[in-house]
Amino acid sequence: MDVLMEGFSNTLTFNTILFIFLGVISGIAIGVLPGLTATMGVALLLPITFGMEPLPGILLLIGVYFGAVYGGTITAILINTPGTPASAATALDGYPMTQKGEARKALTIATLSTSIGGIISVIVLILLAPQLANFALQFSAPETFALALFGITIISSLTGKSFAKGIVAGLVGLLIATIGLDPIGGTQRFTFGSMNLNNGVNLIPVMIGLFAAAEAFRSVEKLFSKDKIEVAIKKTKLKWSEFKSLITTILRSAGIGTFVGMIPGSGADITAFIAYNEAKRFSKDKSKFGKGEMKGIAAPEAANSSLTGGAMIPMLTLGIPGDAVTAVLLGALIVQGLQPGPMLFEQDGVLVYGLFIGMLIANLLILILGIYGTRFFTKVLLIPKAILVPVIIMLCAVGSYSLGNNYFDVIVMLVFGIIGYFMIKNDFPASPLILGLILGPIMESNFRRALVMSQGDFSIFITRPITAVLLIFAFITLFSPLIIKLIKKKYRKI
Amino acid sequence: MFNLKKKGSVLLMMMLMIVLSACNGEGNEEGTANGENQGTDFPNKEIELIVPTAAGGGTDMVARQLVDIAQDDLDESIGVMNVEGGSGSVGMTQAANANPDGYTATMVIAELAMYEHLGTSPLTPEDFKPVALINYDPAALTVPADAPYDTVGEFIEYAKEHPGEVSVGNAGPGSIWHVAAANLENAADIELNHVPHEGAAPAVTALAGNHIDAVTVSPAEVRTQLDAGSVKVLAVMSDERHDLIPDVPTLSEEGIDAESIGTWRGITVPSETPDEIVEILEETFVSAAKEEEFIDFMNKNGLGVQVKGSEEFGEFMEENRAMFGEIIPEMGLE
Repeated sequence: MDVLMEGFSNTLTFNTILFIFLGVISGIAIGVLPGLTATMGVALLLPITFGMEPLPGILLLIGVYFGAVYGGTITAILINTPGTPASAATALDGYPMTQKGEARKALTIATLSTSIGGIISVIVLILLAPQLANFALQFSAPETFALALFGITIISSLTGKSFAKGIVAGLVGLLIATIGLDPIGGTQRFTFGSMNLNNGVNLIPVMIGLFAAAEAFRSVEKLFSKDKIEVAIKKTKLKWSEFKSLITTILRSAGIGTFVGMIPGSGADITAFIAYNEAKRFSKDKSKFGKGEMKGIAAPEAANSSLTGGAMIPMLTLGIPGDAVTAVLLGALIVQGLQPGPMLFEQDGVLVYGLFIGMLIANLLILILGIYGTRFFTKVLLIPKAILVPVIIMLCAVGSYSLGNNYFDVIVMLVFGIIGYFMIKNDFPASPLILGLILGPIMESNFRRALVMSQGDFSIFITRPITAVLLIFAFITLFSPLIIKLIKKKYRKI
Repeated sequence: MFNLKKKGSVLLMMMLMIVLSACNGEGNEEGTANGENQGTDFPNKEIELIVPTAAGGGTDMVARQLVDIAQDDLDESIGVMNVEGGSGSVGMTQAANANPDGYTATMVIAELAMYEHLGTSPLTPEDFKPVALINYDPAALTVPADAPYDTVGEFIEYAKEHPGEVSVGNAGPGSIWHVAAANLENAADIELNHVPHEGAAPAVTALAGNHIDAVTVSPAEVRTQLDAGSVKVLAVMSDERHDLIPDVPTLSEEGIDAESIGTWRGITVPSETPDEIVEILEETFVSAAKEEEFIDFMNKNGLGVQVKGSEEFGEFMEENRAMFGEIIPEMGLE
């Protein structure tokens, strides 16, 4: 406990809090812009921290990380443009709420869920990090495959108006995911000789195209329609009773986020979708999802922010980065002369607890900035469409380009913008396609890697307990509606 | 109604065109510099260093640190631009086709000598003029700390008793670390089970979790696990021992006659760049790489500093290219 108190007093200095604040603010700005990801934000600010003290330096980066995950949500809710893949699930119910005039309420829910989820995961990190660390190591190819398969079953709850169209979109996503070098054999697939396609189609320009560009193209059409739909901004605030109804969802999602965060190789995007799916599964009235259900915002937001704490667990305790951002953070720690791994807590305990306290402060700052910023953020909706739409299209292009300074990504964005436009017109939902594209490569490479590890023996999927449990979950999710229907039919006959 | 729709789609097309042309502009700006005073007063404006991998990665960090020091020397700023895609081939192709005026340099990576053998890109070292080699890190055969073998000899013996069963994680099919494991197979006449991962870090994670039997990645990449005591390094695949793990023998010290395999990073310029400009850049980057500040940074990150000038670096790349040409076709890829 002494180290905790000492870490506490080290962090509560004006200097350190100022840097966390700067980090969170720049993180939010980075998250808002499509194409600028949390990883990129952290990587860009990394060299600045080399000359700083370890605590403020690393907390600046952590502030950027947390801020960026939150920032992506703001645009997802307001203009249906997830700033980062982590917020793709939030757009599902966030944007419909904005269309109903409840943008402020939606942003308030998102802010509360983000900071509560984040705080919960940091508390888990403080209390249980070393104990949980070894659990993360149990995850290897077969386990990750089972988790991804479980994730794929979520497509059925993202289908929107037509079940069949949702499944088609999901399959198209999986199909696109096969483009590029075969992850195990190294054969080129559907690359048409283009080296740009060797590593597959980049997820982020696809997402920008399907969500932001497609929506912008559709708005262009509306500019000329006579029945102008002005989005009102109602002043309705989140009621205490409404918040109370969200608490279980937030807690459940925070648990999911922290857990998935620990697993190396899975990201905030998957977590948000899993939490969304679970919120829907536990909800009594499933029909509201996709039409502006508050739980549909709370769940992915609590999950993607609690993932940040979860991802720190293997990074700090084992020196294993769970995702791209923590990989960069790991580099930052090493440059500061720290050695992440089992000894870190013993050798630099004060610093580690200082980091934890700083993470709590970062989440509180998001809460404050988010609540006070809501009024300011929603002003975006007052911008006339004729000005906003071209700006969004420009941002889509700039964002896709800045991703890797590769012109090809801009073309991918435009192609998927056009595809997305026709998908909207014909009621094909975009989220299953995104989910297929995210999970396809994870599923395929881990399935095949598992078989390489077992030298072709399929029993590897049954004999490993975590894999078996996850696979059973996946099958239950997949077939339970069918089985329940059959049972109900039987009972009726009796 | 039809009319309105049509108007909408015309506007949509216009926007597409604006976006496309705005992006095209990016490629043209370099054209103006061509032919201007190539010679004594180089450099007189900012130099761009293309890094063919993501911001925040190992190659990017090395590039930025090096540039920080080099630009003080040069009295002109050097900007880093990350161009990602195709395991580095997108950025390096763009760099090879840049104006050969010295204002576009590239941080090339070991993959440059591998593409033609893998069939993933026609790019070869010949598309560039070498400036300087900066870094070299050999493959290190690393196994769990509790593995039943303590030397390469014992490892090989075990692999001979269990042909095809010892699983070795690498950073992806056809990656340099895959080639490293294949090289060990050839040299020791053993059969290993290659397990490709999405990069070196996931492979090391799998090793730490005891899901695979070994990895052949760089010492820096196994360093945190090494310090934690969860893994041990049996040998490095180079002529000399590595500074990070001076106690670990090389393969040849252990009596195994294998090629040296490692990843490397160096500076190049397009192949048509005039020699006098290459000389200026060579001097700058070679001295920057020898600065204490840079060496400190590399040591902190467990990366090996190996500096070679233009000519030596060129020979080095050609040797690598020839060696990969022998190993890769036998690996059963594609």
